[in-house]
Amino acid sequence: MAMKKNMIPLLLFFFLVACDSQPKSAFTGSVESKVSAVGTIPQESIFNLTDTFTTQDNKEVSLNQLEGKPTVMAMIFTHCTYACPRLTADVQNIEKKLGKKAEDVNFVLVSFDSERDFPTRLNEFKKEMFLDNNFTLLHGDDDAVRTLSVLLNVQFQKNSDGDFSHSNIISVLDKKGDLVFQKEGINADHTATLEQINDLLK
Amino acid sequence: MMIRNSAILIILFSFTFSTGFVGGERNYAEKKMVRIPGGNFTPFFRLPNSQPIHLKPFLMDETAVTNQEFLEFVKANPQWRRSRVNRLFADSNYLKYWESDLSVGEKNKVLYNSPVVYVSWFAARAYAKWRGKRLPSVAEWEMAGEARPLNTKYKKLTDLILAWYQKPNPKVLPPVKSTYKNAYGLYDMHGLVWEWTFDFNSFIKSGDSRANTQDELQLFCASSSLYVKDKDDYASFLRYSYRGSLKGNFCIGNLGFRCAKDLK
Repeated sequence: MAMKKNMIPLLLFFFLVACDSQPKSAFTGSVESKVSAVGTIPQESIFNLTDTFTTQDNKEVSLNQLEGKPTVMAMIFTHCTYACPRLTADVQNIEKKLGKKAEDVNFVLVSFDSERDFPTRLNEFKKEMFLDNNFTLLHGDDDAVRTLSVLLNVQFQKNSDGDFSHSNIISVLDKKGDLVFQKEGINADHTATLEQINDLLK
Repeated sequence: MMIRNSAILIILFSFTFSTGFVGGERNYAEKKMVRIPGGNFTPFFRLPNSQPIHLKPFLMDETAVTNQEFLEFVKANPQWRRSRVNRLFADSNYLKYWESDLSVGEKNKVLYNSPVVYVSWFAARAYAKWRGKRLPSVAEWEMAGEARPLNTKYKKLTDLILAWYQKPNPKVLPPVKSTYKNAYGLYDMHGLVWEWTFDFNSFIKSGDSRANTQDELQLFCASSSLYVKDKDDYASFLRYSYRGSLKGNFCIGNLGFRCAKDLK
């Protein structure tokens, strides 16, 4: 009995010491911690980003879950009245032109708007835009969204009215997350984009 | 009773032991941060109808992060050693003047207290997180940097900045606190190195893209300067376009950073 009572402070002691190392490793476990876990992902792959995002179905995901299929990715926000619906339509056109092959491609729209574009809103947007199930819409926190924008060379800033100024870029990632092609602009000619995707599907 | 007492003692002991380690960096004298009052900030480039941005008060490092401070980070985070860093997050110039992975070098002794340069945005961000801080936003940095210079011959901040822009990069980067102090108590906001900001990729420039963003017309066509805060502020034009030309993994010889933190 006495033994057991003695054990409690001892256990507590170890517990507290163990707790100590926790916050530190949370800080230090930044970009590379997951790289080793994934292993097969090349150095320059965007899948090295460890931040998590939430889908329109409220699932928490990290980008490396896109591995295995080429990915068509664009950054938008759903309250956008001008550019984003058109950019989204551009991605849809790419999907249409791929025909049946579209099922072997991830179509991902990531929102700039971490304060308004929560899963429920993303889901609404998905319906409004008639996006099918090849599409995934992602919400991320400020940090995750900013980091992704830096990796995709997408410039954006939040304006005082809560809307965003942003560049319009459609990116193509290969099956392992390397950025292989980008096309800027809305209503752009996506012949080359389609060639790239078709190459990746071979 | 004895047992209970010893239990309390051990808990107390382990508690002190544990708090002693919370910071983890026993050699790191907590870097001084100064409070920057909040307020309305008018961005340098803006849309015709846009309102000023409201900024909350925050804390900012009084100087740029030094080589010595950055070395502690690299020692504690092996993935940020020069030989191991991921090229996605830092280009091949990363810390290139350091003698080795874990040493700034005897020959660089003079640089220990100078701003660390040749660091990428990702590295700066990781450093800030490790210290429990963050990078300042462009708006925060600009507002903090606008404060009146105290100990300098230049009456106008713009004159001081332009004089710095005209000088070539020094062969040996001077230590922090070697230029001037501003009214907030921040050192070297201009005049020593350029600094990374969290949203450095905010500035929408035309680049080689066409019809890329809505804002471009307002920014770059003939009417553009109407929507700039101060048409004569060449220094700001340069700073914003410098930021616009960066990529997150760039490591450059005159680009360092300092951290910010929310007020509790």
